This record gives sequence, C-alpha cells and structure tokens, in this order.
Amino acid sequence: MINREEFLNKRYKSEKRFQFYGKSAIVLALLFLAVFLFKIFSTGYTAFQKTWITIPINYDPEFMYLDADQKPSIQDLEDSEYFDVGIESFAALDQNANEDQITDIKRMFAFIFEEEIKYHILSNPDDFGKIVEVKLTASDDLDQVFKGNYPRELPEERRRVTDYQLKIFDKLNAEGKVESNFNFSFFTNADSREAELAGIASSFMGSLFSILVCLAVSFPVALLAAIYLEEFAPKNRLTDFIEVNINNLAAVPSIVFGLLGLGVLLAVFGLPRSTPLVGGITLSLMTLPTIIIAARASLKAVPPSIREAALAMGASRMQTTLHHTVPLSLPGTLSGTIIGLAQALGETAPLILIGMVAFVNTIPGSPMDPAASLPVQIYIWAESAERGFVEKVSACIMVLLIFLVLMNLAAQMIRHKFEKKWN
Amino acid sequence: MNKIEAKNVNVFYGEKQALFDINMDIQEKQVTALIGPSGCGKSTFLRCLNRMNDVIEICKVEGEIKINDYNINQKGTDVVRLREKIGMVFQKPNPFPKTLYENISYGPEIHGMAQSKDELDQIVEDSLKKAALWNEVKDRLNEPGTGLSGGQQQRLCIARAISVKPEVILMDEPCSALDPIATAQIEELIDELKKEHTIVIVTHSMSQAARVSQQTGFFHLGKLIEVGSTDKIFKNPDQQQTQDYITGRFG
Repeated sequence: MINREEFLNKRYKSEKRFQFYGKSAIVLALLFLAVFLFKIFSTGYTAFQKTWITIPINYDPEFMYLDADQKPSIQDLEDSEYFDVGIESFAALDQNANEDQITDIKRMFAFIFEEEIKYHILSNPDDFGKIVEVKLTASDDLDQVFKGNYPRELPEERRRVTDYQLKIFDKLNAEGKVESNFNFSFFTNADSREAELAGIASSFMGSLFSILVCLAVSFPVALLAAIYLEEFAPKNRLTDFIEVNINNLAAVPSIVFGLLGLGVLLAVFGLPRSTPLVGGITLSLMTLPTIIIAARASLKAVPPSIREAALAMGASRMQTTLHHTVPLSLPGTLSGTIIGLAQALGETAPLILIGMVAFVNTIPGSPMDPAASLPVQIYIWAESAERGFVEKVSACIMVLLIFLVLMNLAAQMIRHKFEKKWN
Repeated sequence: MNKIEAKNVNVFYGEKQALFDINMDIQEKQVTALIGPSGCGKSTFLRCLNRMNDVIEICKVEGEIKINDYNINQKGTDVVRLREKIGMVFQKPNPFPKTLYENISYGPEIHGMAQSKDELDQIVEDSLKKAALWNEVKDRLNEPGTGLSGGQQQRLCIARAISVKPEVILMDEPCSALDPIATAQIEELIDELKKEHTIVIVTHSMSQAARVSQQTGFFHLGKLIEVGSTDKIFKNPDQQQTQDYITGRFG
C-alpha cells in the first residue's frame, strides 16, 4: 500500500513539473515578444512627431524680384523666387553671422523651405512686403535634437550638427519657437533622401498593390488546383508526385522565387521592372502552395457523408463539389489564403531581386508604376546613415506589424464567423 | 413483381472479394431487409443498387443488376438519372448544413422538377408530410437542418430522399444511431412509404427486420445464404446457418 501511495505522489509531482515547464515556455516566449515590441515602439513612436521651427520671414519685394509699389498677382507670386527670401530671413536670426554661419542656419531647415515660404505667401497674399512668422520644417538632425535622440555630448567634429546651429536652435527653443506636431507627411509622402520628408506612402501602396495582384493570381489558380486534386483527380503515382512537389514548393526559399521572377517575368516577358505587378506575380508563386495546401486540408475536412448525401440525391460530381464541398471548405481556405498573403506581405528577398528595392519618390497609382514595399522600405532605411532614419525604420515596422495583425484578425474572424453558423 | 434482379454480382475491393455471386430478386412495393453479421457485405450489396460504390476508387462491381429490366451496370448508364430514381438514406443522419427547406428543395432543384417557387414549396411540404416531420418543423423551415434531434434529422433525410419521387429507397441501417422512440417512428414511416416505393433496408436488428419487412435476405461472409419471405426466414429457414444466426447462436 505504501508503495502505491509513493507511486501516486510521484505521478502528481511529475504532472506538476510538466505543467511548470509548459508555463515557463509560454512566459519566455511572451517575454521575447514584449522586449521586441518595447524596443520597436520606444524607438519608433517619435517618428510620428515632426519638429517645426517658426521664424520671421521677410517678404521683402526686393528679395522676390518684384515691384514694391504694385500689388503682385497670384501668378506673379507663383513665378517668383524664394531662395533669397529664405536666406535673408535666416541671416536676420543672427545679425553678426558670416557666410558659413548663414549656410549653417539654412541647414537647420528642410531643403523644402523655399516651397514652404512660397506656400505661405500664396495662401496669404496680403503678407507681401511684411515680416511674418512662418512655420518651417526642421532638418532631420534638429528634429532628432528636439526629440532628445541626438548625442549632443559628442565633440563637435564627430557631429553633423554644429555648435553654432545648436546655439541658434536653443535660443529659438527658449523663445518657444520650436514645436512638434503629428507627422502627417510620414503617411502621405513617398520616400526621400531627407529623413524629415521621407514617408511610407509609396511603399504602403506598393505593398497593397503587390498583395492584391498576388491574391488575384494565386487564389483562383490555387483553388482550382486544390479542388481538382482533392475531388476529381484519380489517386495514382502522378498525383502523388504532384502532391509531393506542391509541398516541396512551399519549402523553397523565397529568394529562389525572386530569381525566377527576374529570369522569367522581367527577362523573358519583359514586364516593367520594380513594379507591384511583377512583385505580386512573384509572391503568388510563394503563396500558391500555401493556399493549395490550406484549401486541400479544408476540403478534406468536409465530412464524406455530405458528399455521399449529395451524390445519392443524384447530384453530379461537379454539383456536389460546387454546391456543398467548396462552400463548406471556404472559411478554411480563405483564412489559409490570408495567412499566405500575410507571409507574402512580409517577404523581402524576392522583391529585392525584381528591383522593388529602387529608390522611389513617387506614389504609385497602379500596379504598373514603380514602387517599393514596406519590408523593402525597412531594409532601405535601415541601410541609410542618417540618424533620422532610425526611428523611421521602427515606425515602418510598426505599420507593417499592424497591417499583418489586421490581416490575421480578418483570417480569424472569417473562420469564426462561418464555422459558427452551422455548429 | 420483381423490381430489381441481381445476377451473379461479384464485388472486389482491390484484391479482396467482398461479394460472391449474389443472385437476388427484390419485389416491387415491398420492404426487403438485408441482415447478417458485420462485414458480411450487406451494405456493399445495397450500395451496388444505386452505384454508390463508384465513389470508392478501388471498388469493382461485376455482374448484372437489372432495375425495371434495365442493367444499371452496363456502359453508358447515367448515374445521375439512376440516383434520381433510387434514393438512399444513410446510417448516420447527414442533412446538408443548410436550412430545412433547402435540404428538401435541393433534389427537385437540380433535377428541374419544379417550374415555380409555389410548386417547389408544395414538393417540400408534401415530402415533409410523407416523412411525418411537417408538423414539427413547419414553422422553422429556414433554420439549419443540423439543429434537429437525431431522429428528426433522419426523417429529414428520408424526406429529402422522397422529394425526387424515387421508385426505390435504399436504407443503410437507418436506425442504428437512434433511440427506441425515434426508431419506432422511422419503422412506422417505412410501413407507410412501401405503399408508393420499393424499399431495401439493411439492418442489424433482427427484430426490426421481422417487424418491417416482407422479404429477408441473409448474408454471411460475402455470400447470400438464404433469401425468402420474412415469415419463412424467421420461422422455418432452409439453411442451418440462417437458423443459427436468427436464434443468436452466432453473429
């Protein structure tokens, strides 16, 4: 009897130990995830803020090469030059500044300061000839200084921001002329060499077009292939061989598909390089086996009794398949498709090979226009030297992650909604 | 009158022979029961009658099965038309995961039996009434068929089978998943249905065979041991094996 009690105790203990291992594994996994997310969010959240510096701009007719005595038309203002307006206004920030120092001040602002100065006078033509305060985009370095991401303690020769710039900046900051607002341009601008102007619009649209093309190509093909293989094809060596190869296809490294896209779509068919069309078709090669496998699994999961019921009612095989089997398998197929597309969305290597790694500063309007994609954008920015891109990388990762989470949620919802309906 | 005549029917699953030289006549508008121990081939024989064995890839059927004097195993037989004439009810209730209405209307729809919505409604109502289910479900025809109880589901499947007005109804152990009350309801229904349909029923329950059938065939190890009127088979069988099985000495 005593032996038996010990035996039982041992069993309870080992069960407890086993549960403990499982729990620790979950805690560990969650910990990794938390660290990862914390790192991304803490570096990235500042990218959603943009720094502006307000300075007095002197709309002196002389700097604009316009007649002082006559009120200019909008067209005159449109055609005018604003570089000198900017330079003179910058010089006015420090009466004693020499040439170099004025250049330094100019570099405190984004290179689009001319556009911003012009935009202000076009929307307020009455400010002609006056000195008015205008909000200008700060350069990416000062943006980082304002956000506290810049190592001011480094010796001057190792910094891109000069002591003189810092002095002017601190003075303006003390006067309350520096502020930061929500960075809309991050979502509306295409890529740029200047970190303060770079945005994800091009790569976001590129990714969106790519997965739409990918969906349009891979879903119908995969669904038809899966239906044929599962419901109609005889089970013989040939179909076994095809099945093995579909599974192999799912395991092929993605870069190989990139080479295929490069060699076939670009070289043989001459499709336009760097476009979401080519990217989408290349990615569809990757999602194809995923969707076929998911669709076959969910077709297999449809109880044979349903097929028998339909056949016994005198439905043909096609009617049985289209009226009963496929509708029942669709939730599983769709969620498999979305998961396949989510994988494709995060894919970088094949897109680099087909040229979607190019610097694209326009927003694509169709899948035939050159575009980047979100993961490639991350790669491009991560390679950039400017400090301003560090937070952009994290911000872009956040956008990509949110995109992916939304897609996976959609997959979950589809599965949930349609499975509930009949059970 | 003979509705179905099977001559020298052999069935193979790959290498394995499942039925040996079955010769059997099935009478019109009567209930024929097929009995025998598990694995004896009675279900296989039943599935030969509407060529449901076609679905099983390794299954090969030889011999002649004449229905209305037409050999259904001959080349060029349209199985879709055949299964319209020969309905089937399965062991486990298998309603479509659709509404009650759609379950019944599916057959008439795919065979183009109704010209209008009203006609279709009428077929659905008639079928459900014949299956003694109408009163229980008439107010919830748009609810899923899978929401019914097991016995109701099986009656739904019977209603579905008779919706296309088949001449023959095959039943593969239709009560094995049901409780005694539901079983009694189905048996009553079978009695009613035999006025218009020829019924072949596979059953494990000898008492059920005795209750519902007029003809009984006893299968053992792929062979048809004895066939005859139910009275004779249960009271005075010719074969010793039949006698042993009926009295529960084996099986």
